[in-house]
Amino acid sequence: MRGLQLTDDQLREMYDWLRLSRAFEERLALLNRQGKLMGGIYSGIGQEAITVGTVYGLRREDFICPLHRDLGAFLVKGVAPGVLMAQVFGKRDGLSRGKDSYLHAGDTTLGIFGNTSMLGSNLPVACGLAYGFKLRRQDHVVLAYFGEGAANYGDVHEAMNFAAVNRLALVFVCENNLYAYSTPFEKAFAIPEVAVRAQAYGFPGVDVYGNDLLRVHRVAQEAITRARRGQGPTLIECKTFRWHGHSEHDRASYRTQEELIEWRARDPIPQFERYLEEKGLIDEAGRREVTARVERKIDEAVAFAEASPWPEGPEALEHVYAD
Amino acid sequence: MSGTAVLMPHMGESVVEGKVLRWLRREGEPVTRNETIAEVETDKADVEIPAPIDGVLAKILVGEGATAAIGAELARIEPAAGAGGAPPASARPAEPASREAARPAPGPPSPSPDAPPRVISPVVAKLMARHQLTAADLDRIGGTGVGGRVTKPDLLAYVERRGRPEAPPPKATVESGLDRPGDRGGDAPAPTPWPPPEPTVRRPQSPAADEPVEEVRLEGLRKAIAEHMVASVRTAPHVTTVAEVDMTELVRFRAYHKARFQEDEGVPLTYMPFILRAVVDGLGAFPMLNSSLDGERILVRRYYHIGLAVATAAGLVVPVLRHADRLSVRELAGAVHDLAERGRARKLRPEELSGGTFTISNPGVFGGVLSTPIIHQPQAAILNVQAIRTQPAVRDGAIVPRELMYLCLSYDHRIVDGATAVQFLQHVRGRLEHPLVLLM
Amino acid sequence: MPTEAPAGAAAGEVTYLEAIRQALWEEMERDPAVFCLGEDIGVYGGAFQITKGLFEHFGEERVLDTPISESCIVGVATGASLIGFRPVVEMQFGDFISCAFDQVVNQAATLRYRYGGRQSVPLVIRCPCGAGVHGGLYHSQLPEAWFVHRPGLKVVAPATPYDAKGLLKAAIRDDNPVLYFEHKGLYRRIKGPVGDADTLVPLGVAEVKRPGSDLTLVTYGAMVHPALEAATRLADAEGVETEVIDLRTLAPMDRETVLASVRKTSKLCIVHEASRTCGVGAEIAAFIAEEAFDDLDGAIVRVTTPDVHLAPFSPPLEEYILPNTDKIVAALTKLAAY
Repeated sequence: MRGLQLTDDQLREMYDWLRLSRAFEERLALLNRQGKLMGGIYSGIGQEAITVGTVYGLRREDFICPLHRDLGAFLVKGVAPGVLMAQVFGKRDGLSRGKDSYLHAGDTTLGIFGNTSMLGSNLPVACGLAYGFKLRRQDHVVLAYFGEGAANYGDVHEAMNFAAVNRLALVFVCENNLYAYSTPFEKAFAIPEVAVRAQAYGFPGVDVYGNDLLRVHRVAQEAITRARRGQGPTLIECKTFRWHGHSEHDRASYRTQEELIEWRARDPIPQFERYLEEKGLIDEAGRREVTARVERKIDEAVAFAEASPWPEGPEALEHVYAD
Repeated sequence: MSGTAVLMPHMGESVVEGKVLRWLRREGEPVTRNETIAEVETDKADVEIPAPIDGVLAKILVGEGATAAIGAELARIEPAAGAGGAPPASARPAEPASREAARPAPGPPSPSPDAPPRVISPVVAKLMARHQLTAADLDRIGGTGVGGRVTKPDLLAYVERRGRPEAPPPKATVESGLDRPGDRGGDAPAPTPWPPPEPTVRRPQSPAADEPVEEVRLEGLRKAIAEHMVASVRTAPHVTTVAEVDMTELVRFRAYHKARFQEDEGVPLTYMPFILRAVVDGLGAFPMLNSSLDGERILVRRYYHIGLAVATAAGLVVPVLRHADRLSVRELAGAVHDLAERGRARKLRPEELSGGTFTISNPGVFGGVLSTPIIHQPQAAILNVQAIRTQPAVRDGAIVPRELMYLCLSYDHRIVDGATAVQFLQHVRGRLEHPLVLLM
Repeated sequence: MPTEAPAGAAAGEVTYLEAIRQALWEEMERDPAVFCLGEDIGVYGGAFQITKGLFEHFGEERVLDTPISESCIVGVATGASLIGFRPVVEMQFGDFISCAFDQVVNQAATLRYRYGGRQSVPLVIRCPCGAGVHGGLYHSQLPEAWFVHRPGLKVVAPATPYDAKGLLKAAIRDDNPVLYFEHKGLYRRIKGPVGDADTLVPLGVAEVKRPGSDLTLVTYGAMVHPALEAATRLADAEGVETEVIDLRTLAPMDRETVLASVRKTSKLCIVHEASRTCGVGAEIAAFIAEEAFDDLDGAIVRVTTPDVHLAPFSPPLEEYILPNTDKIVAALTKLAAY
């Protein structure tokens, strides 16, 4: 790919992340159907190229501010699969120690900020992280994620303006999967795409095909480089599609079968596999080996989560305040 | 306010309030310790109020004609300058003077039947329990809160005052005549007597124009008597037994000696000393008639305090002649005379109105022949002495005129059976019919 | 450091406003992690001139002028606090905190909890609040009760220069999100001594501003002053001694001090300028009724603004609704007489 210098090992690594991310989420769907999970499960299956493509290559000190559909980002940024699984189970070894669900907690030591359910409210926090790096004259970057639905939330606009005014090292990643729950893009926007909004705030906006891993990665790296150089923020809009409903409880009848079939044909993983095959980096045996390895990791993660203790009732009263 | 309080004294266990009849000193006048500065009327007696210290009558808090609860402040006396030997100048612990000024004088507490229910705040309830106070104590405390409510400071001040040794008249420990069995000086609640059902009373109808009705308020002694009589009848199952006494000998004896007696002793010789001797003798032989029922126990008293009912303008009072068994006929005559005089003048002391073990009443002086008296609680019996009349009697087969008198004894059939009662009366009769024995 | 002790102040006495500025200055000097952000706080020195002089001394990055974006500003403070900064946000008027409500109550307040205790949010949001300044409906509010109700937030409301300075310093050093309600009516009206650079007023500790044995009066913020006046008036006129407790911190509240006082006096009056229903006074009345019922010698009374908006603009309307010394005296007198 032009402009990118990825080694074979890095390419294989990215493939592993894709496969792990997919397997993890497929396992969640299975566990959910087995009645082993409670609460909302928000599948990002079909969108893995965006999370892997943007997060891969970040420093540990760089921050990501992902949302509910960016589970893969947590894995790539360094959260142990067992801890992430325990988090979804609501066990004490999860990131929240049972206090909140799914991806609402992060890990500051790994450079991950976990947000609330108010989608888009992570963007001002991302600005704060980036502003802190600016005060310290550090060239770390912050990646802030939001869906096209959240793009209309007030905080998003305030944050984009603030980031632009202060030339923050921020990359705004908009995952446009065409539906905000049941609301199609055309119903929520009077413009054809989100990327054009960046211009209104004074920084570049780029629209990219979100299911092409390497393309996403290249664009992200360009934006990250700009940011590290003090050139301010960039908005990257990634077009994609989620295979499952908004949550596992949603049958997504607002979409057509044709749409789904069309987008499933654009599965980012086989697409990347074809690229690797062309480069001679993978074959059928290799694929199976990755499958087995990934499944094992997931099995271990599930076992870890199932063995992890439930928090005790009185723990609900802890950690409201810092002492 | 500073100074020493003049309090409404305790005057018998069941007395809860008194009325100030007269102030003998005005505000601003000097007073001497123990000088009588006011007169107060209660159900039972008129009482003189002495000044507790030398000083000046600084403030009268309860005026003439006004009523106040036992323990309430009637006035304040400022000590005389340099009154070193006087009791503590302040009735309250050291407090800023301005705080006293903030408090109005305690108003009359003790709700009448028509008053709204008493308000007891949580902290007052807690302190009542801690200091073992009862509703009766609340009645005694002058409440300074809204509507006469007893406040926490009121209660604490009361507890403080109650603990002081110089507090004027100490609480009476003897039983008053109106005590019910089991009363313990007001600290513990009295045990509930056997309760017959409440009789339904039809209220009198409004008067018509040609049927005038004068209203007399039921209060004071009259009210106390009314309440006591109802209580007594509801407590004890009364049976009355009658004995006929031939008083001829005694009549002659008295007629012979009375003039000389009056000269020598200065008091008249009535029949009462003899009756007293005979009754006391009878009680010695039949002690159950000198007892009280206290819950599950019968207290058989081995001392003889005889109440003698005295009719006064306001109603019946019953001064008690203590240790009647220790007095000779002559001494009894003097004591009876004195009690009767002071009773009529309502000058009896509180301790003289309580503690009786048996009561004698004398409706005979008015000519009454037979009666069914009501027992003076918590005693076991009461004896009515009826009129002595010349009546025909049968002696040795002949009809002769004799001086005959009925004795009517009402007794508490829980404690005393008919046989005992009759035998007691016969014993008394025997003594009265042979009076020489009484003189020994 | 530029100071602004007004003419006539005793040596060492400063205004409430100056006390706040001193706190900011000293903490920014002491700890490079402390920085301020808000609208017009930098070059202009702040709408109330609290931050005057800070920009010139500490620079534009540590005294950041922001766009009009209350929600973003609070989010920025939260983000910066995650990587070791101690930001102090200035809401130009405390009324505008409603624009940042989600960032305060959902983002900052829950962060430590949803991270299972592994992360703190050491930020301060200064909110100029309070009525009696002809501010109308959006420059007079006292919204503290919303935030006292929200777990995870600390709320303070100083009444004196000493407490203003000491509490702000302590709030900045506290690892929790702290809402600091400074009463704008006190800025220049109140003068007093303040502590030195190392003197903190601890959060969570009330102060008995005036001891007494007959009544307990609990209050905070600007109302401390008419409360003290009322207590003096009552003592002089009726000899009734009122114990005036300044809560200083509303969350976490120093309940023990209030309990001890009510156990002593058995009568409680609560005064706050904020409106009545579900104000902070409601919580105090409830917990005292629960925990000191047996010590009460009268009903718990509250003197507050009624359930109207704070505050109507026209002076006779504003004066009508606000608590003042006379209204407090009347309530205390009635309580004492019960």
